[in-house]
This record gives sequence, structure tokens and C-alpha cells, in this order.
Amino acid sequence: MAAQPKAIPAEYPSYLKGDPISWLNTIDHKRVGVLYGVSALFFMMLGGIEALLIRIQLFEPNNTFLSAHVYNQVFTMHGTTMIFLVVMPLLLGFAANFLVPLQIGARDVAFPRLNALSFWIFLSGAVFLHMGWFWHHGGLPDAGWFGYANLTERQYTPGMAIDFWDIGLLILGVSTVMTGLNFFTTIVTMRAPGMTYMRMPMFVWSILVTSILILLAFPPLTVGLIFLFMDRFFGTHYYQAVAGATPILWQHLFWLFGHPEVYIMALPAFGMISEIIPTFSRKPLFGYPMMAYSLILIAFLSYGVWGHHMFATGMGPVADATFAITSMLIAIPTGIKIFSWIATVWGGSLKMTTAFYFALGFIVEFTIGGLSGIMHAAVPIDLQQTDSYFVVAHFHYVLFGGVMFAILGAFYYWWPKVTGRMLSEKLGKVQFWLTVIGFNGTFFPMHFLGTWGMPRRIYTYGSGMGWTFWNQFETVSAFILGFAFLLMFINMLRSLRDGEIAPADPWDARTLEWSIPSPPPAFNFVTVPSVSGRDAFWARKYGTGSHGAAAVASAGDPPNGEAEAIHMPEPSFFPIVLAAGLLLCGLGVVVAWWRLIMAGGVILFLSIIGMAFQYPTFGQHTHETEAASGGGGEDLRKVGLWAFIGSESVFFATLIATFMVYKSRSMGGPGADVLEIPLTSFSTFILLMSSLLMVLALAATQRGDKTWQRVWLAGTVLFGLIFLGDQAYEFTSLYHHGLGFTTDLFSQCFFTLVGFHGFHVFIGVVWLSVLLVVSFMDRLPKSRALSVELAGLYWHFVDIVWVVIFTLVYLMQKVKGA
Amino acid sequence: MTAEAAVHEQFEQHVHPGASVYVTVAAFLVVLTALEITVFYVQALAPVMIPLLLILSAAKFVLVAGFYMHLRYDSYVLTSIFGFALVIAAVLLISLLLLFTYLSHHLWFAVPLARILLPGH
Ligand code: HEM
Ligand SMILES: [Cu+2]
Repeated sequence: MAAQPKAIPAEYPSYLKGDPISWLNTIDHKRVGVLYGVSALFFMMLGGIEALLIRIQLFEPNNTFLSAHVYNQVFTMHGTTMIFLVVMPLLLGFAANFLVPLQIGARDVAFPRLNALSFWIFLSGAVFLHMGWFWHHGGLPDAGWFGYANLTERQYTPGMAIDFWDIGLLILGVSTVMTGLNFFTTIVTMRAPGMTYMRMPMFVWSILVTSILILLAFPPLTVGLIFLFMDRFFGTHYYQAVAGATPILWQHLFWLFGHPEVYIMALPAFGMISEIIPTFSRKPLFGYPMMAYSLILIAFLSYGVWGHHMFATGMGPVADATFAITSMLIAIPTGIKIFSWIATVWGGSLKMTTAFYFALGFIVEFTIGGLSGIMHAAVPIDLQQTDSYFVVAHFHYVLFGGVMFAILGAFYYWWPKVTGRMLSEKLGKVQFWLTVIGFNGTFFPMHFLGTWGMPRRIYTYGSGMGWTFWNQFETVSAFILGFAFLLMFINMLRSLRDGEIAPADPWDARTLEWSIPSPPPAFNFVTVPSVSGRDAFWARKYGTGSHGAAAVASAGDPPNGEAEAIHMPEPSFFPIVLAAGLLLCGLGVVVAWWRLIMAGGVILFLSIIGMAFQYPTFGQHTHETEAASGGGGEDLRKVGLWAFIGSESVFFATLIATFMVYKSRSMGGPGADVLEIPLTSFSTFILLMSSLLMVLALAATQRGDKTWQRVWLAGTVLFGLIFLGDQAYEFTSLYHHGLGFTTDLFSQCFFTLVGFHGFHVFIGVVWLSVLLVVSFMDRLPKSRALSVELAGLYWHFVDIVWVVIFTLVYLMQKVKGA
Repeated sequence: MTAEAAVHEQFEQHVHPGASVYVTVAAFLVVLTALEITVFYVQALAPVMIPLLLILSAAKFVLVAGFYMHLRYDSYVLTSIFGFALVIAAVLLISLLLLFTYLSHHLWFAVPLARILLPGH
């Protein structure tokens, strides 16, 4: 792409400038971040009010402030809100969005439109969760934040509340996975020249690892929620003992997601702390390589510990012991981090700012939460503590004392960069001390209450239990805590109105975001910085020696930076429209109103098409890709697609695992021997051959051979259609043999798994058909071979999934298995 | 050479295997599938059916991923992404199978054991 160097204006308007409408179609990562931040602050107030409602109700025995039914809704929405609508959007949506491109020296994320789409889908999911409020038979979800089966089944919880919860979480999951995909690709491919992995700021490291966690941990939740959806809408029995199924499956799927989720929230917080502490200790981060490796180790281990949430389900001694050991192992990398932070502070010349206070507070409070966590990693102890207030104390020490303290510290640290104004340090310190007092006062006594037997999730208690005093103490403390948050909002508003103007680098910090003005211009960097070491900005200011104050350079751009042409992608309204379509569709499903589903579907479809054709550099290498130092030189769309394929692999593995587990538990019904091998063998050959045609189409494109490009593409589509036709035939003939969708456990798992694969084939056929049309429009030249390659990668992936299904489902039909 | 030019060079260096390689791979895929189906029908192979089928389908998997999806020719970054995801997927699948097998065996043992240990029930 021939880039015409544009003259760069002397003054760069801040990214915040622009009319209000421009916030609706923005795709600037900083603005998307601010949108996330503002929404999350709103939900923080909501979730906080819900917390106070809980505390008011528990203030005295036999209180009638809230009914049992309302209490259930309040604690469910408090937990769901805090996790999905406050902490995750603040860490990933706000902080990572705003900071990652700045810290790696990029002008935006890899897929800016997808980023805006993530936000709008997040918002529609958040609205969706609360929609039950507006319906007579609705009400808010009330089955707890982990919605245990089989309480969530239609006959035990009728009405629409759980439907809103189920579909709402599915929508939020879509948004989160897109975000993870985006950050992963951004960090792998768009680092500034010279920024190797071992030179990245630790916050960027944490987001990289978190993105991997998201991509590989959300699929089990998605599958679990889809099963729940099918149970509630189509009459399957995934979580009911009636058909041989078991509610325990939900617990496995949920916690397969749920424990990594804990680290999806904790790792970015670790990253923030790792930025704040070195800056105010005026020392480089102690043990940088160990800090990076321990992030990876925590992430990896976090997949092997989910069973510690299920000790009370009777998994048996071997499983219990395994999960206990893996859980305790996590203490090792976590301990490494805590010691490294302390060693960073040790001997530093400390600058006691509010952000630093919160970071130090984090170390103390998080460690307390970590210690009680190790306690219930021991099975016999956990059997006493589980479902008691001891657990509530534990996870608030990690989530509030850990994650929330880090977020508050990060607010004080990065606020000047985001808004261009300083917060009041004086008010900040008052807020800090009130937070420490209120937080410990609210949650520390919960350890005692739990040990004395007060169960979690009870709406009231008798006066003879001896729990009254500490509950009153906690409620009073909770109001102190609430007041501390009020101070923060006051501080923010005051700062926005007439706060001190922030310089570019108010903290004398170490990372690249402080090298550009506060607030930054829309394109971030006039010249893409080049990096020659860790703590890139610090090195530029003081040379590489970390203590020596050598020649102090200005906080502006590096010397002899050459001006380059800056291309920023166009804003787009499609993300917000698409998200609205999704919202309508989901609503239509819950209230069973076909016209709404149709209307939402049409909007959804049109905006997907619109977005696809808006892609300006279709098939071209963008400026960012060329400058990228990472990704082994691979195009960012290819890296993104592979990350997506990785996520899909876990999705299918979960479906396959469920099929194999449930096949042997299936009772009655025809069983697996009804599957026809000759027919599916034919399908298998067809699909394998379609992959051959697909690579031939790619080879033709790379040669610039239009005729054969069309022939092979058309052939691939045709073979895909034959496969789908076969499958339709197979399904109908099975149905005529008495194997319907809900006949038994085997049939529901079979149709779900094979049906989802068929759906992927269908998507592939649509994708390839679009390419075929583009080819006939003569717009698929050699230079756009990547577009064919991407479609091909997806197609082959669908093919290898079938290779696995054919073996495990069809050829091993006689194996009784698990 | 600027960084940009270096990256471009790398782009060009990607080897694109020719049609003959693709067709050979396809031939292998067909043969492997035929073998799989044979294993399914031949009674004599029943005792070793599971490992045989797993090996054959794994071979197909590797062929498609390596040649058709280009992992053999592309940057190691892409292979590591997919490889790591597959490790997690396999861990998930195997541990769920083990957990549920164990669970059912556990209960299967428990009932007769309880009969012996708790006479009168
Ligand atoms: C003002 C601060 C907060 C107070 C006073 C508070 C209070 C409580 C209480 C008393 C419960 C137990 C309800 C019950 O079991 O009956 C609870 C549950 C919970 N809280 Fe908080 N909380 C606060 C902040 C947070 C934050 C910041 C998070 C997450 C980041 C969080 C996440 C949760 C979760 C996940 C549950 C479990 C809900 C469930 O059982 O389904 N809370 N909270
Ligand atoms: Cu856990």
C-alpha cells in the first residue's frame, strides 16, 4: 500500500475531543476503554448497593427487610455483577484496552472494529442480565453466581429469570472471547520494533497470559450454558438424574471455566501491581523473568485445580487428593510473585502516593486471602468450610483485598493519563484508610462466623445463634467501605471539573504510555518508538543504569524520530447496531416472540455483512503488520484465526467429553449401534477430499490462476453441501428409527455434538461461497491470497474435528467407554 | 535492511508446497481412512481396536494440520498456539473421562462393600 506521508499538525487533539456521536461509532482503543470504564463504574455502584442491601438484611436476626426470594436475587446479581460487569470490564475492557497498545508502542489493537463490537456486545449482555426486572413473571436471576444445576432447570426455577441469566452470560462470553482474541493477537504481532517478549512491561505479560486463559477457559462455560439452554427450551436432560445424567456435569463444566476465571481476574491485577510498585520504589521490578514465568505457571496450573470447588460432591479420594495437591502447588508461583514485589520495595527510595498505598495494601490483603485459600485446599478442612461464611471471607480477600485494591491503585496511577487531570492525593489517602478499615471490618469477622457454622446464602438467622454481634459489626464496616467509594467518586468528579492539569509523566514512570501527552492523541505515537531494553521510557530518560540520573531527556518523542504517515481506520456504526440485533434476538428467544427473533436476526445478519465489506485493507498488509516485530512475521489475521481455532478446539473437546461420559450412562433407547458406518464413511471421504480441493484453490490463487481458483472453490463448496446433505439424510433416518433429539442421553449428546459440527460446516460453506462470489467479481487476485488461506484454515479445522468425531463417535460406537 | 523489509522477505520465504504434495497427502488420508474402517469391521482386531483407531486418526489429524493447514511451513508461533490449545483440550477430555469413570467405579464398589460392612441394611 503506497503510503503518502501526511503533514503532521503541530498540535495533536486529545483522543477525548469530538462530538458525543463520535463515541457511538468510535473504534479508538482508548475511547472503547473509556466506554468500558464508565459502564463498569455504573455497575460498580449497582453491585455495591446490592452488597449493602445484603448487609442491611443481615444486620439483625429474623430481619424482614428483604424477603428470602428477593435476597436470593440480590446476592446472585451482586456476585454476577461484580465479576462479569465490574472486575472483568475494568481489568480487560478498560485497563488493558487503554494501556496495552500504549505500552507496546502500537497505534491501536489488532482488530479495532472487533474491539468496539466487544464493548457493545458486553453492554447488551449486561442489559440483558437485568431485563427480567421489566417482566411480570421475570424477576432477577436467583440461583447464585454459579447457578448450580439442577436448581436452574425449568421445573425447579420456572419463569424467565434463569433464561436471562443463561443467555446473558452467553452474550457476555462472546464479548470476552473476542476481547481475548484481540489482545492475544495485538501482543503477539504488534509490539514496537525491539520490544521482545522479555522486554514487555509486566502488565502486558499479564494480559497476554490472561488472553490465553480466556480463549481456553470460556468454551467449557459456553458449552455448559448451551446445555442448560437446551434443557430449559428443548426438553433435553443434561443435568437431571432422570435419564442417567447428573447435575455434577454442570459443576465440572462451570468450574473448568470458573477457576481459570479467578486467574483471569487476578493476573491483570498482578500486572498492575507490577507496574505501580517499581515506579514508586524507583527500582526495576525484582526478578522480572521469574515474574513472567510464574504468570505462565499459574495459568497452566489453574486448569488442573477446578475440582477444589467440588470436594463436597464425593469425587472419591484419588480425585480429591489430586486436586488438593495441584491447588497447593499454585502457592509456589504465587509466593514467587509476592516475594518479588516485596524485594522490589526493599531498599527502594519510596514515593508514598495513593497508588502505592493501594499496591502495598494489595500485598497484605491478598496474602491473607491466599492463606485461607491454602486452608481449604486441604479436603477435610474444606468439608467444614465449604458453603460457610469462611469461604465468603476468603474470596472477598482475594477479589476485593486483591483485585479491587489493585484496580483502585490503578485508578490513581493511570487516571492522569486517561483524563489529563490529577486526582487529589489527600482525598485518596483518606479513601485508602477508610477502605482498609471498612474492608477488614466487613470481611475479617466472616472467618469467625463461618467457623461457627453460619452458612453462606442464608437470608436470615435466629437470635440464639450467637452471630448477631459480628454481623452488626460487619454491616457498619460495610457502610464505611461504601463511604470510601463515595469519596472516590467525589474525587473523580472534582478532578474532572477543576483538577490540576496532568503533565505527560507525573510519576517519573518507566513505560511508554508516559512518553506521550496526557491525554494521548488519537494515534498515540507520532513515530512508532523503537525499544532497546526493559523499562523502555526509563532507559530513554536516564540511560540503561536504573539508578543513575544521567542526562534527563524530555518526556516527548525520541530524538531523530522520523515522521511517518499515520493511517487510522474509519469509525463504524456497525458494532453498536450488531449488538442491538443480538439483544433483540436474545430477548425474542426468552419471551418466545418469533417476530422479534426475526427482526433481531435480520439486523444481526445485515450488520455482519456490512462490517465485513467495510474492512478497508481487505487482503492488504496494514502498516502495523509490517512494523510488527512479533508473530514470526505472520499476518495478524492469521494469528487471530489460529487463536480462534485453539479456542474452538477446547469447545469441541468439551462436547466430545460430554458425549463419551454420557454415552455409557445412557439408559433405555436404541444406543450407539444404530449409527451407520457406510454412510458416514462416505461423508468422511467427501470432507477429506473437500480439503484437498481447498488447498488446490489456495494454490491456484497464489499462482494468480483465476479459472482454477473458481473451479476448486466451487468444488469445495459442492463437497461441503454434499456432506451437509448426507448429514440431513442421516438425521432423518435416525429419527425414523426412533432416535429423536430427546429420546435418551445418548441421542441428545450425539445430535448436539454432530449438529454443532454440521453448523460449522455450514458456516464454512457460507464463507467459501462469499469468496466464490468475490472471485467471480474479479476481486480475488494473487495479492488477496490470504483471504483464501484464512477460509481454508477454518475449513481444514472443521475437517480435522470430523476426523476425531468419526473415530470417537462412529467407529468406537461399541466401546462402552467411561 | 529495515525491519519492514526483513519481515517482507520472511513473507516471501514461506514455502508453498505444490499440487503434487497435496495429492499425495490426500492419498494417504484415503488409505488411512480405509484402514480405520477395516479395523472397525474385522473382528480379529477387536482387542486392539482402540489403540489402532487412535493412532490412525491421529495420523490423519497430523497430516491435515501439517500440510493442508501449513503448520509445517509456517512460523512456529502458529504451531505453538494450536499445540497448547490441544494440550489443554486433551487434559480436559481425559480428566473428565477419568473423573466420571472413577466416580462410577467408586459407587459400584461402594454398594457391595456397604452390604458387607453394614449387615442388616
Ligand atoms: C462493598 C463491598 C462488598 C460487600 C459488602 C460484599 C458483601 C457480600 C456478601 C455479604 C456476600 C454473601 C452473600 C450470601 O452468601 O448470602 C457476597 C457474595 C459475593 N460477593 Fe461480595 N461484597 C462486596 C464486594 C464484592 C466484590 C468487589 C466482588 C468481586 C470482585 C464480590 C463478589 C462476590 C461474589 C462472587 C459473591 C458470591 C455470590 C453468590 O454466592 O452467588 N463482592 N458479597
Ligand atoms: Cu478455584
